[in-house]
Amino acid sequence: MTLRVSISTRLGSYGTFAAISAVGIALLFALVFIQGGYLLTVMQLAMIYGVFCVGLNFFMGYTGQASFGQNAFAAIGGYGTAILCVQFGWEPVAALVASMAIASVASLVVGYPTLRLRGHYLAMATFALGLITYDLSVQWTSLTQGYMGYAGIPPLGIGRFVVEDERLKLVCLMAILLFSLWLSGRLRNSRFGRALRAISTSEAGAAALGIRISQYKLAAFVIAAVYASAAGSLFAHTVGFISPEVFGLQMVVVTFTMLYVGGVGTVLGPAIGAIIASLLPEIVRGAGRFQDIAYALALLVLLIYLPKGLSTLADLGKRRPAEQGGGN
Amino acid sequence: MGLWKASILATLVALTSGLPASAQDTITIGSSLGLTGYGSLTDGHWRDGLELAIEAVNAKGGVLGKKLRLVYEDNKSTPQQAVVVYRKMMSEDKVVAFDSGCISAGNFAAASFVTKAKLPMFLCSILPRLPEEQKWAFSFLPPPKFEVDARYEYLKNKTNIRKIGILGDPSPYGMLMRNIALEDAKSFGLEIVANESYQQDDSDFSVQIGRINAAGAGAIIMIGQGNAVITVANNLRQLGLNKLLLLGSINEREILIEAGKVLGEQYLFPAPMIQVAIDDVNMIADPKARAAAEAFLTPLKAKFGGKMDSAQASRAWDSLLMLAKAIEAAKTTEGTAVRDAFEKLGPYVGAGATYEFSETQHIGITKNPYLIAHVTKDGKLAIKYDGRQ
Repeated sequence: MTLRVSISTRLGSYGTFAAISAVGIALLFALVFIQGGYLLTVMQLAMIYGVFCVGLNFFMGYTGQASFGQNAFAAIGGYGTAILCVQFGWEPVAALVASMAIASVASLVVGYPTLRLRGHYLAMATFALGLITYDLSVQWTSLTQGYMGYAGIPPLGIGRFVVEDERLKLVCLMAILLFSLWLSGRLRNSRFGRALRAISTSEAGAAALGIRISQYKLAAFVIAAVYASAAGSLFAHTVGFISPEVFGLQMVVVTFTMLYVGGVGTVLGPAIGAIIASLLPEIVRGAGRFQDIAYALALLVLLIYLPKGLSTLADLGKRRPAEQGGGN
Repeated sequence: MGLWKASILATLVALTSGLPASAQDTITIGSSLGLTGYGSLTDGHWRDGLELAIEAVNAKGGVLGKKLRLVYEDNKSTPQQAVVVYRKMMSEDKVVAFDSGCISAGNFAAASFVTKAKLPMFLCSILPRLPEEQKWAFSFLPPPKFEVDARYEYLKNKTNIRKIGILGDPSPYGMLMRNIALEDAKSFGLEIVANESYQQDDSDFSVQIGRINAAGAGAIIMIGQGNAVITVANNLRQLGLNKLLLLGSINEREILIEAGKVLGEQYLFPAPMIQVAIDDVNMIADPKARAAAEAFLTPLKAKFGGKMDSAQASRAWDSLLMLAKAIEAAKTTEGTAVRDAFEKLGPYVGAGATYEFSETQHIGITKNPYLIAHVTKDGKLAIKYDGRQ
């Protein structure tokens, strides 16, 4: 009892939750790592989606803006890395970094006029961006090879060191996700992150405090695009094949689900959401043709009882202010 | 043993106990199918054909003294899910070969690691792109060119129509076919005077049809599967364009009949013989092909009442019977031996088509299997023109 109180006091409820999550995820990894099999692939994809969601969280969570078009930047990352590696023989890491640079420039160009819009209009504009990119990836066959897709994309690696082993792939992807989370956490609590959160709370209030709203929004949009591009490239190097369907509307739906299941606006939420939303379909696979229904029901239950996501589990034990204050 | 170690061990035991107990008595074939998403229309029939074939093989005692078992998973018509389900069937179900559906991107995405595992892939889709992957893949899909050429040949040989309009959807199948249609027209003496598009969920095509008609086309070459063709047929009727011929794509039997009820012989379409001959197998002249068709149609009718589409399911049936034959010839389920034995099967007269696989030929259908058909007044399919060699 004393020990529990002491841990709670030192870490706080969020810290305790983070520690429990970390231990849980570590155990899960150990299990998947030992067991091997197709769960390695499921977890690899979860890590990649996790990176995507951590980026999306900058724009949607910290800044409170809506974007339905981040799949466009994942497509830039995926196709960028595929073209540079397959057509021009670039090293995977160099291609990944170059694609991120291309995505950041593209997001600057697109974001500058688009982010003048707000609310539903911004959501519509970003949605259109995703659709345009999808159509481009289908129609611009000389560049993207259309529906035939890009095959033979090399796995990640530097020089002679090539990450071909499935377990090693998972370790690398996990390391990249952890780095993304660390960066996200650092930025969230920085002056920049506080400005983003102020915008999320009240744009007028933030502007009154001297925060340049449009610049900060654009910065968050670019960061989200860079993360999405990295996720697109990682997918290409992990699977070895991409086609327009990979970066289609389904990616938007899946990543939104992950973000909200995990907890939008929290640091760990995107990663937790990505892992849970990736594993859930496998847990209910036994339901056969009712797998989708079982998955949807599980999501529904999660969102009803934890509307702010799994990462708010930490708040469940907290007393409400009215209870704490004894009515004052 | 510590509590932690014991828990890990217990979890591992629980997970591994899910493996089939009778794995040694069966030979497991895997299938990645788009049972939801855009591929659901075709891949559902592929599964039905596989199941019928498995039942038929097992009824005769199985292969190498073992029963065949089919494991299929829904790839939701996406490459991401296809990667997961292919891996799942390899690691959990220990499949010895794949006989998968028509989602090309899904099959392409999995091809690299299936190839590394040296497992043969029998596909409803086109072949993967890399040469080393093609060594392990066999396609049972008639090349898309055949579907276009059958219609062009009919126009050239049986009509005076020389100006045509294309009306196509933007699906992968549609895009591929449209390019072929644009390239091939000239060699049949045809001129494309209009090139129109539609979305699969459009509810009216009057504008596109009007443009094609205004451009002076005598026939619409429709490219795209699904029930959009019924709407096009209704639009043609409403617009009073009873001299504009509608040459549709291959399609589900029920859809063909619905569109045919509206337009009669103004609506023609390419169809494999097995689709037309479902009501009367004696239409098939070649005795070998007739016997193969009968062997397939009998259990099909018994299970589905004869209303099911036979085109896709027949090729799935053929692919699995040929796989069983190859395993029998190889006397093992080892991937390389099965692949090599399959390449040496020689010409195979199946229910859906005749296949000629070899070491250098991994696209089995080499001769155009399509004839041009129409719907009769009593709602059956009939041959309009048979230009097959």
